[in-house]
Amino acid sequence: MSKKLWLWAAPLLFIAVLFYWPLLKIIGVGLSSNWYEIYFEPQTLKAIWFTIWQAALSTAIAVLIGIPGAYVLYRKQFFGQRFIRALITVPLVLPTIVVAIVFSSFRAEHQIYEQIGMGFFFENSIYWIIGAHVFVNYSLVVRTLGGVWATMDNETEEASALAGAGRLRTTLQITLPQLKPAIVSASALTFLFCSSSYGIILILGGGLVQSVETQIATAALQFLDLNKAAALALLQTLITVVAFSISEAIAKHPIGIEQVDESTHKPRLDKRDWPAIGITGLVVIALIGIPMLVLLAKAFTFDGGLSLQNFVNLAGRGDRELLNISVWQATLNTLRNVAISATLAVGFGSLISYLLSRTHRTRRARFTNRTIDVLFLIPIGISSVVLGFGYLITFGDGPLPIRSSWLIVPIVQALMALPLVIRLIYPALISIGSEHREAASIAGANSRQTWWHIESGIIRNVILTAIGFALIAGIGEFGAASLLAFGDQATLPTVLYALISRPGSNNYGMAMAVSAIMILLTFVLVFSASARIPRRRRSGAWK
Amino acid sequence: MFKKISLFAVAAIAAISLTGCAPMGDATPTEVTVVTHDSAVFTKEVIAEFKKQTGITIKQIKAGDTGAMTNKLVLTKDSPIGDVVYGIDNTFMSVATENGIIDGEAAPVDFADVCLNYDKQWFSANEQPAPASVKDLTKPEFKGLTVLTNPATSSPGLAFLAATVELFGENGWEQYWTALKANDVKIAAGWEDAYFTDFSGSSGKGNYPIVLSYSSSPAFEIRDNGESQTQSLLDGCFRQTEYVGVLKNAKNPAAAKKLADFMLTEPFQKTLADTMYVYPTLKSIALPKEWSEFAPAAEKTVGDTLQINANRKDWLSKWSDIFAVN
Repeated sequence: MSKKLWLWAAPLLFIAVLFYWPLLKIIGVGLSSNWYEIYFEPQTLKAIWFTIWQAALSTAIAVLIGIPGAYVLYRKQFFGQRFIRALITVPLVLPTIVVAIVFSSFRAEHQIYEQIGMGFFFENSIYWIIGAHVFVNYSLVVRTLGGVWATMDNETEEASALAGAGRLRTTLQITLPQLKPAIVSASALTFLFCSSSYGIILILGGGLVQSVETQIATAALQFLDLNKAAALALLQTLITVVAFSISEAIAKHPIGIEQVDESTHKPRLDKRDWPAIGITGLVVIALIGIPMLVLLAKAFTFDGGLSLQNFVNLAGRGDRELLNISVWQATLNTLRNVAISATLAVGFGSLISYLLSRTHRTRRARFTNRTIDVLFLIPIGISSVVLGFGYLITFGDGPLPIRSSWLIVPIVQALMALPLVIRLIYPALISIGSEHREAASIAGANSRQTWWHIESGIIRNVILTAIGFALIAGIGEFGAASLLAFGDQATLPTVLYALISRPGSNNYGMAMAVSAIMILLTFVLVFSASARIPRRRRSGAWK
Repeated sequence: MFKKISLFAVAAIAAISLTGCAPMGDATPTEVTVVTHDSAVFTKEVIAEFKKQTGITIKQIKAGDTGAMTNKLVLTKDSPIGDVVYGIDNTFMSVATENGIIDGEAAPVDFADVCLNYDKQWFSANEQPAPASVKDLTKPEFKGLTVLTNPATSSPGLAFLAATVELFGENGWEQYWTALKANDVKIAAGWEDAYFTDFSGSSGKGNYPIVLSYSSSPAFEIRDNGESQTQSLLDGCFRQTEYVGVLKNAKNPAAAKKLADFMLTEPFQKTLADTMYVYPTLKSIALPKEWSEFAPAAEKTVGDTLQINANRKDWLSKWSDIFAVN
């Protein structure tokens, strides 16, 4: 037990010093004596209500279309599968301004939609916000579910099919209950991402749609109303805790899933899969493929024709020395940052998941576990403006003057990616079930050996997924980068913003070219992370 | 005096080395940190020239848009993130002075005029006269043709709101905006999406031929025929003037003062139009040719004497009531 306490020290210290200290400090500075009055202002109530229902609706849609997606892309096998898996991941990294520009340009074609009787839909910016949230979070759901589904044993399903159950019934009655922990986990994350979404709501809503996050940003950046910003940040924490508690209550008893190696033979798609194929095909083409093609088309258009000129222009520091650094330098900064943040997030995340999964299942241990789990989840729900202000006043001088160091950006990115990593690895670990572990300990292995030889092997796919997510969470990260990246430490998203804040077609074209580079970078990273790594032979005794 | 400066320099270098981001082992005698908004640019030539003149290296910290930058400086005024600030404009200057973040007087460096732009090509193709005044936008012939930016989330938006307060008076501006809304004006969150997505005269090729932008923007929309596709409406422009000032409690105030002075001289002022799309305050600087032809500054501007900071909250909440969606 004491050894475990020591292992806990590093991740807890990391989050306490780099997240809770600045957060509590800014909240302490901000809150005035009548802070709770903010919550009763009609404007705030409206913002809270909108935040919750749009996040819930976006999550429901993403999960509904994500389940068939996970089935087709992870449970089945077909040519080009890995390509599509990587493709759907790209939206997660696109900076929100790019997502918003692409969606706005669709919206601009409103005459077409009016003709088919859908004018109302395209008038209302709230539908567009939800659409963009689904676009961004679809792959989060698909990959989280897919990671578990791919390695799930299909004996029960086959038995059920033999007993004459249809495929849909088998899915509903046998498979989905087994996937429940993963579904709940993915839903909770999607909900939190949508409830703390900023750029998409801001741009697609024209700044007219109020959510908790946009209220915080306006309060902090326009009025320096720290009281309101801090009070709303506390509310965000509450939303995170409630969302977490609900998800825990639903997924009360994680079901032990008998897991198999993903490299085992998976069934090919067949005719009976057509509903799932249809839905997924439509989503991949209409929701993911077309917006991305539009974006690429913009990147390769110059002076009205097909051209590479935008990329040629990028080679320098912009036509007019607009950028402090070249785009290639910014790419290197981005890669360096994500390498550090992914290492931190996956390292700490695996350790935390391992420790969480190891506790005895007493009531008290469960309570402690949940508390710790939620402590690491809260960063996802917190406004980056509030955290950025917290960093400014906490790390300027005093014991840790790291405010102007470039390390700040990867650290914050790691904090944001950490909950993602834990949500992926922890459910997978508890779903492995205790059989392997017991078998191993009978064979005389200690817990560390069990981890290395059994669990890390089985959840290898999940860890690869986690690495992929941690990497891409960093590439497109703009909040922390823009609040904290100084001078020559610009990253790809900050360069993109610098370009798009000026008139002129060269700048616009270059910004689109930067987006194309980000798409490519993500695609390559995700695609190569999914490459089949030759597998260590597992010892026969444990098999 | 010299001793004092070098003491400061030593202190600054020590402080910077503690944070681990100074180029160590460099022969640089000292460094000055300038805090700017995201759009400010110091070219290689400017940095080299300042180093030649003073031996000081310029380090730039971009701190968000003007509002975010000003508020960050207020938050950190006891231990500022830099020595000198460039880019606080007249809409935010009173926040800076009320909170005492600037040491001494701030000096104007450049200005930009927030004006409506329209797509000349669109109006000639549709055989319709272009608007001649801000007041025209509520007329039926311009219904659904205008995109503006949200004053709560964009600085040109706030500038235009201030201009309308002056043009229509404390009692008339809300009516004007209500009429604009009824005339199907589109509100975008920021300049970027208004200009590049919604405006028909830019490379985004949107649906709206009238946009809120700057008087300088037409200089960047020149087509193959040598003409600009767009034109500014020089009526009802609001002038944003940007200032440079030494930060209180700066670690390196002497170097900061040198940089502030340098920014008012020719080597820096001549880069403003090209890199930041703004007009220099130094009158002897010749503007680029496209500018004098297509992008002159407004001769008369409105809203220069308004108490923007004192009224910001009130204006914005009234404005938001008119346009609220949820």
